[in-house]
Amino acid sequence: MDFGFTPENEAFRAEIRDFLNEHVSDGIRQEMKQSAAGHGLGPLTKVLIGKIGDRDWIGMSWPEEYGGRAADLIDQYIFEEELARARVPLNLGNFIEQAPAIMFAGTEAQKKYFLPRIVKGEVTFALGYSEPSGGTDLGSLKTRAVEDEDGFVINGQKVFTTRAEQSSHIYLMARTDPDAPKHKGISIFLVPMDTPGITVRPLWTLPGGRTNEVFFEDVRVPKDTLLGERNKGWYIGASALNLGRAGARRYCTYVSPFEDLLRFLKEDEIGRELAKDPVVQDKVAQLYCEARVAKLFTMRSLSMVRRGENPPYQISSEKVWGPEFQVRATEAASQIMGDYHQLWDEDQAPNGGSFPRQYVSAMVSTFGHGSTQVMRTAIARRGLDLPRE
Amino acid sequence: MDILLDEDEQVIQEAVRHYFEAECDTDRVRRIEDGGELLDTEMWQQLAELGWLGLALPAMQGGSEAPFTQLCLLFEEAGRALAPVPLHPHTVASLTLADAVAVGKGGPLAERLLSEAAAGESLLTWAWNERLPGTGPEAVTMSAEPDGNGWRLNGTKRFVEAFEGADYCLVAVRSNPSGGPEEGMSLLLVDTKAEGVAGVAQRAMGGDTQSEVAFDNVHVDGDALVGAVDAGWELARPMLERAVVLNCALVVGATRRAAERAFAYAKERVAFGHPIGSFQAIQHLCADMITWVDGAELLTREAAWHIALGMDAALPVAAAKAFTNERCQMVIREANQIHGGYAQVKEFDQQLWYRRAAAWSMRLGTSLDHRKTVARALELG
Repeated sequence: MDFGFTPENEAFRAEIRDFLNEHVSDGIRQEMKQSAAGHGLGPLTKVLIGKIGDRDWIGMSWPEEYGGRAADLIDQYIFEEELARARVPLNLGNFIEQAPAIMFAGTEAQKKYFLPRIVKGEVTFALGYSEPSGGTDLGSLKTRAVEDEDGFVINGQKVFTTRAEQSSHIYLMARTDPDAPKHKGISIFLVPMDTPGITVRPLWTLPGGRTNEVFFEDVRVPKDTLLGERNKGWYIGASALNLGRAGARRYCTYVSPFEDLLRFLKEDEIGRELAKDPVVQDKVAQLYCEARVAKLFTMRSLSMVRRGENPPYQISSEKVWGPEFQVRATEAASQIMGDYHQLWDEDQAPNGGSFPRQYVSAMVSTFGHGSTQVMRTAIARRGLDLPRE
Repeated sequence: MDILLDEDEQVIQEAVRHYFEAECDTDRVRRIEDGGELLDTEMWQQLAELGWLGLALPAMQGGSEAPFTQLCLLFEEAGRALAPVPLHPHTVASLTLADAVAVGKGGPLAERLLSEAAAGESLLTWAWNERLPGTGPEAVTMSAEPDGNGWRLNGTKRFVEAFEGADYCLVAVRSNPSGGPEEGMSLLLVDTKAEGVAGVAQRAMGGDTQSEVAFDNVHVDGDALVGAVDAGWELARPMLERAVVLNCALVVGATRRAAERAFAYAKERVAFGHPIGSFQAIQHLCADMITWVDGAELLTREAAWHIALGMDAALPVAAAKAFTNERCQMVIREANQIHGGYAQVKEFDQQLWYRRAAAWSMRLGTSLDHRKTVARALELG
């Protein structure tokens, strides 16, 4: 058991941290706030993401033939951790979910087209899984893709399609065989968002950001938008989804409200007064231990993946513990900070109003990307081999 | 960074688990407890022969000098098996003698006892707690006044493990009452048969034997000193940190086994025509149980790793103990719930793990105590 990082790891961390300190300007911070409020990526932020792309960090752990440099996953983890810490709104989901799925299931042409463009930030995917009739239960999917000579015609609706308004493509799950049993008739399509017949409608969310509904009305796409084999989409998606649940960026999201609280209690004038209360100290110490467990779970998954093991339940444990910790931490913060916690306006509120936004958005972690209930069932069945009936 | 077990660690874990699975069934655990015996002497001798009493002790005294992380794995397995042997007090005391010997402050008595401890010829224990137990230096108030070539001890220690069978007890005393709690403390080796030493057994929930030990004008010679006079806290602090982590390892091992027994039971037990393990209400309990015990195990191993590398371990040790105490009890309560009525029945084995893991997690600092240490390390207030 080795819980430490090598001097080379630490040097790499310092390199990224220095880069971000140098390049994340006040202007970019202002844009990030706007972006978090649902106004898309600002021009300075796009330039920053381009610069990050030039540094061969994105996709560094990929094979060289697809634009990576086969770097150690620990470096990838460090990169994600530092990026999350600096709150850069770079959607790493694409590098961790869609890109590996394309590497795993894509044609040579698809790999050559998409992977380098993902690295450069020219192609970004919104995730087209959930529908009004079902989220985690992908088997209940209703969006249809009907094949004809020229390609496929897609009709249906997606919901909770975050970043659909700013993505170049949608990673779309659609039913290609309505007669097959639930999971077996689904395929994945890589569809450009500017294809005629696609409409995006915003759903404004509590923290002040947005997600979307996406409507598909007789959307015609060529055959080469199909990823992997027809009707095998659920299996491609499931493997990518499992990988997407690991990684530092998620654990960083889970612990960020606690880190904000700790900073407030140590650095803010009022926070320092509150921190003198032994009851507050006890609560914060408890949260610290729980946050540490979230981090160790991530390190464990990473250790397993580096050894070539496929974690049977550990990633699901991360996805139960982390989000529920995040919710507990926001609740504790609210009861420690009281009146100051509710202040929303960034000029008046501690930490620019991050606390109430964290409070109302923490719930997304416990259902986004698979609810904690679905995760618990997966742990019990896959990890502990408990019977289905 | 690779927080999974390496090859050496897997070897020791498998060897110890194999031994206990072969030798330590619950009949054996019950026989010692029901007979009111202090320890399974045959098992103790076997542990000595296998080299596990000296696993992390210096080679000079017959030990194997294994890193503390491997010792932690040995304790996880001992906890898993509920091994009826006083591994914890014996190891805590002998590691501290080894610390003192390593810096040339052990003395001939400590060196001799260390060799005998590794060979299983002497049983060692340690006495720290008094009226108000804790893992801070203020817990020690018992006095030791200069007396001839040594000291004269007066006071009472409580919750001293395995005292009745021990040959020597490493006792923390106030050799100089002036100054702060970290100053004026010394560690002295006391012959448990010495004149003026009187132990009264304290029966506890976990079934192990503890004692309240009164020291009434007990004289010890100068060679009883372990470490430097009045500088006992320098040795006591790492002693307590190791004691806490090894305690966590016992609790984690016992808790994991209790959880596994509940998972197995959930697959067998049928209600309403289905194994109860097929009900989501039970599945979700099980999912939480494995997640929580894994968390306690990782925190414990991370703390052990800090100690093994000689790093400052105060924060990870306190975090491990604060979390393990409470979460492992939660795990075993859920395991009890899955067993239903049988969990309360003495002849059913579940209670063996429940009582011990719960009792162990009440020792060496409560979650409240350790969270104070965490808060201090986070520089709050």
